Amino acid sequence: MNTLFVIAKNTFQQAIRDKILYGIILFAFLFIGSTIILSSLAIEENIFIIRTFGLAGIYVFGLIITIFLGASLIYEEVEKRTTYIMLAKPVTRTSLLIGKFLGLLSAVALTTLMMAIAYIAVIYSSGGGIDYPAIIAVGLQIMEMALLITILMLFSIFTTPLASTIYTIIILYIGHLLSLILEYASKTGGIAKTVLITIYYLAPNLEKFNIRNLVAHNIPLSWQEVTFSLGYALIYIAFIFYITRLVFNRKDL
Amino acid sequence: MIEIKNLSKTYGKQKVVDDLSLTIPTGTIFGFLGPNGAGKTTAMKILVGINRPDTGQITIEGKDPSMASTREIIGFMPEEPGSYNQLTGLELIKFVNNLFNKNKQSSVDELENLLKKVGIYEARHKKIKNYSKGMKQRLGFAQALVNNPTYLFLDEPLEGLDPIGRREIKIILEELKKQGKTIFFNSHILADVENICDQIGIIHRGKLIYSGSVDGFREDKPLEEKFVEVIKSIS
Repeated sequence: MNTLFVIAKNTFQQAIRDKILYGIILFAFLFIGSTIILSSLAIEENIFIIRTFGLAGIYVFGLIITIFLGASLIYEEVEKRTTYIMLAKPVTRTSLLIGKFLGLLSAVALTTLMMAIAYIAVIYSSGGGIDYPAIIAVGLQIMEMALLITILMLFSIFTTPLASTIYTIIILYIGHLLSLILEYASKTGGIAKTVLITIYYLAPNLEKFNIRNLVAHNIPLSWQEVTFSLGYALIYIAFIFYITRLVFNRKDL
Repeated sequence: MIEIKNLSKTYGKQKVVDDLSLTIPTGTIFGFLGPNGAGKTTAMKILVGINRPDTGQITIEGKDPSMASTREIIGFMPEEPGSYNQLTGLELIKFVNNLFNKNKQSSVDELENLLKKVGIYEARHKKIKNYSKGMKQRLGFAQALVNNPTYLFLDEPLEGLDPIGRREIKIILEELKKQGKTIFFNSHILADVENICDQIGIIHRGKLIYSGSVDGFREDKPLEEKFVEVIKSIS
């Protein structure tokens, strides 16, 4: 347990000291701040516009940070031979993976929460009060990022950061379009249908973590749905992590 | 004691380590020599538990190095040790130190003394990305010593060091030997091996071709000359 914490802390420290990360966060703050100007252009519903663009901004910049930090998570460790230093110590490969995951997730969660605080401040200063549902939306976004981190970790074991990024973006794209895939599958037949149905069941359904539209339109959230999404994320993360562990344990370093 | 029995490892179709057997008594400095691609680094990575062999057995003090607990008594410095560039030298050493059980961990004072010993104390608060190659090599050496290991495995420890640095590291190795540590190291710099090793092992194309004393191998010739002669005769 101590080893996990030590590796997680080291990963977190490394991540938050990256100067490129500060650049991304600065752009995120500028974008969230600029929603005030965007909302002033609307005749009414200015809070709706801040919510729509603000939450979208947190999502997009959170995604950029996750992919930027996650794509090279294990790849760089192997390339720079830092895995040698760690694995020659009383550290198992599994604890290395869990520690790296927890460290990166902490960095992603911290930066996402910083953006969320900026967003809440903007909404509050625009007369929208404290946007509690947005906090839940950001929480679910962090779960989605946790899932993406495990996918990035899996890819970064056997491929380059660029390839990991491309594969993850493809999965992200599919994961948000699963309902369309199912609809398309129902209209086709033969092998295409089988392939589409397989993708539908295997790919992560990332729309389960998207309640941004509900928040923007002030539609009440269902706690049952939110709890289900959390459970779904945990099961999927455990599944991907199990595969990652198998692949990493077999890899010669 | 380090015991290696019938160790083999294949990458793809190439047998990198082929039926290697060695016994290294406690308290010796053992130089593991061989041309590039001979299998030295592969063997060392298996010895410290990073990779697993296809066949064969390794024991360090009777225990399997693939068990995390065995690695409490091991120190390992990889070839051209990479590092976390965003950390300072002291932060890296503290991080590595914290990976061990509490009873094997050093105090901050001990860690700072270690950095003094390897000659990078003044740079301890500098980020590693600003270190020179030689400083990174010294830091790599220091991280291998944080747990005061009984068994020290060093892969090309003198590579990238200037003559002063090499001399300093050799003095530390001598001190460690006096403390009863067992040191296993790979090196290309045969003059250094000649000076400090009690025993050597020579590996070529994965097979062990000699194991024993330095004098027993060189037969009144300089080690480098004899080494080249033997390798050429086999190739």
